[in-house]
Amino acid sequence: MLEAQDLAFAYEKGRDVFTRVSAIVRGGMFTGIVGPNGSGKSTLLRVLCGLLKPRAGHVTLDGKALRSFSAMERARRVAFLPQAVNPSFALSVFEVVCLGRYPHVGALGGLRRRDLDVAERCLGDTATGALRDREFMTLSGGERQRVLLASILAQEPSLLLLDEPTSALDIHHQIEIFSLLRRLANEGYGLAVVTHDLNLAARFCDGLLLLSEEHGSMAAGKPGAVLTEEQLSSAYATRIRVTEHPITGTPLISAEPPAEEP
Amino acid sequence: MLRRMRTAPVVLLVVGSVLMVASSLLIGSADLSLQQAWAEWRAGLALRDAPALSVLVQQRLPRTLAALIVGGGLALAGCSFQALLRNPLATPYTLGIASAGALGAWTATILVEGYGLSLGFLGPRPIQAVAFLFAVLDMAIVYLLAARRTRLSPAVLLLAGVTMGMLANSGILLMRYLADPERLVRMDRWLMGGVDVIGYEPIKVLFIGVTPCMIILLAQGARFDQLGFGTELAAGRGVNVKLLQLITFLAGSLMTAIIVSIVGPIGFVGLIVPHAVRAITGSRHRVLMPVSALAGGAFLCFCDIVGRKLVTGEFPIGIVTSLIGGPFFLYLLMRRRFTDWET
Repeated sequence: MLEAQDLAFAYEKGRDVFTRVSAIVRGGMFTGIVGPNGSGKSTLLRVLCGLLKPRAGHVTLDGKALRSFSAMERARRVAFLPQAVNPSFALSVFEVVCLGRYPHVGALGGLRRRDLDVAERCLGDTATGALRDREFMTLSGGERQRVLLASILAQEPSLLLLDEPTSALDIHHQIEIFSLLRRLANEGYGLAVVTHDLNLAARFCDGLLLLSEEHGSMAAGKPGAVLTEEQLSSAYATRIRVTEHPITGTPLISAEPPAEEP
Repeated sequence: MLRRMRTAPVVLLVVGSVLMVASSLLIGSADLSLQQAWAEWRAGLALRDAPALSVLVQQRLPRTLAALIVGGGLALAGCSFQALLRNPLATPYTLGIASAGALGAWTATILVEGYGLSLGFLGPRPIQAVAFLFAVLDMAIVYLLAARRTRLSPAVLLLAGVTMGMLANSGILLMRYLADPERLVRMDRWLMGGVDVIGYEPIKVLFIGVTPCMIILLAQGARFDQLGFGTELAAGRGVNVKLLQLITFLAGSLMTAIIVSIVGPIGFVGLIVPHAVRAITGSRHRVLMPVSALAGGAFLCFCDIVGRKLVTGEFPIGIVTSLIGGPFFLYLLMRRRFTDWET
């Protein structure tokens, strides 16, 4: 379990990206982090996985300070998938997944039977077994994202932190990835996912954290409690309407046109 | 298995490289009988009484060792810089080290010969010492410009390195313009590079300076693989990216500086060898880097043989590497083996 309390972060002195943000990522829970551009969602994710150091507040992992873990120890418990990952040279899908074994194997160790078995299993878990011998760069966007998921699952973490895993995908593949993430949460993984898609978040997440540019953490809780017209309109500075999804019954969010337009 | 690895070509490449290095001992401007050298060795003759053995030990062996270390070092530095900068065009000289070293050599020559200044306090080889100092100065400036709080900026490294290289080159042009013709010829010969070292003194320097850097870089293979998917994913997996960048920059630049100051700026090895090997071994650095180092050494031995045999007398090796390496690299590009770089 990852617990963050009263975080504040600034890239430059005196210019906080966010303040007073608290968050919990726990096994079995699928948490969405939403909010407008510049509200610090991606930054928060990097603070949560220890890549950035908060100005104030603290993060604990399984009850101990996140800082007290070595980078490799941390990577065996918390996996981070940044946005828009582009490899700079050609590797096969299976090689890409095996890269995820790094926190277990280290810089000098070789892949053993068990490492290959784990990689194989992760291919199965993400339905990418058929792509095994393809070159990663020849895959479509949706395939790539699933392979990258397999590669961070190969770290055998208990928590997954994902930065906009569906931002470059069409609606079919967005739903495919979110369904996969939902299944992982049901299997016991703890997920924190930054996303701009409020409707997908409303439908798949157990809990949401809404960040806003001025207030830091604006609301946290069940999707129904966070995705209210009042809170969303204020956070996004746009008039936002929340209705009910005709099939799933989850909140359906749409923006109203600006008042001055005909 | 990880990939249907094309094992046969890799084995072939390794065996061929070893043979190439061995034949570099035997082929030269004077033909050499290994049998005779062996007989002389068995007879326990002193070197001055043993013509074959003395050619082998005093000329061929140091020369082959120099080619092996220089070629291996340059190929490994190129490979490491390509990983560090995430750029297929990177070479050991991308950061301006070769040009700075050449400027240093020119400056020292002018100071010593033109102005009669004694640089004896820099050791027995002041020109090489100054070339090395200039290269290190270039490293320091490029590093300071590119260092950021959490990591080195590859873009600034590239821009600063290329700019420093151009500055050094214009300095060289200025000195060439001012130099007298006789010195011009001799210094131009230095710019063409050469592994025609005599004796073991330069080999000792090369060995002590370059091999530790090579070992350090070879140990980073798994981390370079991680870096290939971006600094953030690598950092999330537990790679200390800033430390990796620092180690790579320092080890790669330092050994390039040592090499350039001793044998001159031999071109092309650091660019084409890693790419040619990559086409055979794939991109996993744990395989790519050691094979590149060996192939780089073998390539330089080969070019040295060609330089020795092609014309009577000697032909500068820096010209041979480019003349052979350039067309070969174009051929590889024609085969479209390099669609795998996406930057």
